[in-house]
Amino acid sequence: MTKFYEGMAEIFEVEPSAITPAFELTAATTADWDSLAIVSTIALVDDCFNVTLDGEGLAACKTVGDIEALVARAGKE
Amino acid sequence: MSMPIGREVRVGGARIAGVVSCVPSRQLSNDHFSERFGADKVADVIKMIGVQTRRWADEATTTRDLCRHAGQHLLARLGWEADSVDALIFVSQTPDFRLPATACALQADLGISTNCIAFDINLGCSGYPYALWLGMTMVQTGAARRVLLAVGDTISKIVDPADRATALLFGDAGTMTAIDASHDSSAEDQAHFILGSDGRGATNLIVPQGGFRDHSLSEDPRLADKDPACLYMDGGQIFNFTLRSVPPLVERTAAFAGVAIEEHDYFLFHQANLFMLKHLAKKAKLPAEQTPFNIDRFGNTSCASIPLLMTTDVADQLTQRRCRLGLIGFGVGYSWASASLSVGPLAVAETIER
Repeated sequence: MTKFYEGMAEIFEVEPSAITPAFELTAATTADWDSLAIVSTIALVDDCFNVTLDGEGLAACKTVGDIEALVARAGKE
Repeated sequence: MSMPIGREVRVGGARIAGVVSCVPSRQLSNDHFSERFGADKVADVIKMIGVQTRRWADEATTTRDLCRHAGQHLLARLGWEADSVDALIFVSQTPDFRLPATACALQADLGISTNCIAFDINLGCSGYPYALWLGMTMVQTGAARRVLLAVGDTISKIVDPADRATALLFGDAGTMTAIDASHDSSAEDQAHFILGSDGRGATNLIVPQGGFRDHSLSEDPRLADKDPACLYMDGGQIFNFTLRSVPPLVERTAAFAGVAIEEHDYFLFHQANLFMLKHLAKKAKLPAEQTPFNIDRFGNTSCASIPLLMTTDVADQLTQRRCRLGLIGFGVGYSWASASLSVGPLAVAETIER
């Protein structure tokens, strides 16, 4: 998960230590959970897990933990 | 061999004779957008899409005008008489009118005889390989000896100026490609195409109004605060589609043509978005010198982006020697199309301004 957390920290412009499963995507002050962040996250997840996430499913995620759950589900398909 | 992902078609006996692109002289830098969106937001978007400057047509200039200028220049440089052209196909999503077809207007504009096949095709990002496939097939069957492909868009006219995701991304360009018979009948001379469609993605890149169905009346929550007369793009869904479809398309195109990926001189990708293109190139393990980008200078020019690469970044190569090109178009529809073919040395590969 390290590479994924580092990537998420970069997208949200926060310290890597700030990224935990509880990290709230919509509460970030420096970047919004907008289409730019979503597209960046799709690329990051593809790099880290070789899984292509659906934009709509990703947009509905509230926390980093939600994204991890989505990756786990998509990986099983 | 990987699974087929579209119709696989071989076409022989036809070649590209020349290509000309015409871009508007009006150039817009990113500063133009800072006042509206704020310099920080503009910088965020630019970091992703990679557009530094783009060309936008003025109010009086349409795609047809850009294609007409490109066509006049192309015919002159090739030394083709206008009435030697047997067919003209206009590929665009920004025609002059809902009817009549812009191809008919261009036939008259260029002084082509009335013994001419002319019609429009409504395709965007995948349009150029589609047009090549059709034009070359028309030559192969004998339906036409010389074909002109007018491929272009002025998406700047349908972006919502308040939507930074699209307002900053798109640029305008009109191109004209000449196809004629090739007397080299070797296997190496055959063009290989893959053509596919998936209409389930229709509403992810759409102008909801202006045709004969009003999609803004649907329950689509994404359109709630959007102007239905303008282009709507769901960036996440488009990227998901691109990631799923483009890497296998590249792989399958090379396999079908029987030419290894690394034996292609260039892969010319539809210039969708720089971040996306870099990710795709990395995934397909394509080095930077094999995948030229011009989105930084012209933005996403829709169906014109592949021929515009041919008349800018690889123009010198195409006029000097024979190159093996992979052409990869993908997007609105969804629709995708690829080609692997040998091109050049071309009599003309130029970009002009209007």
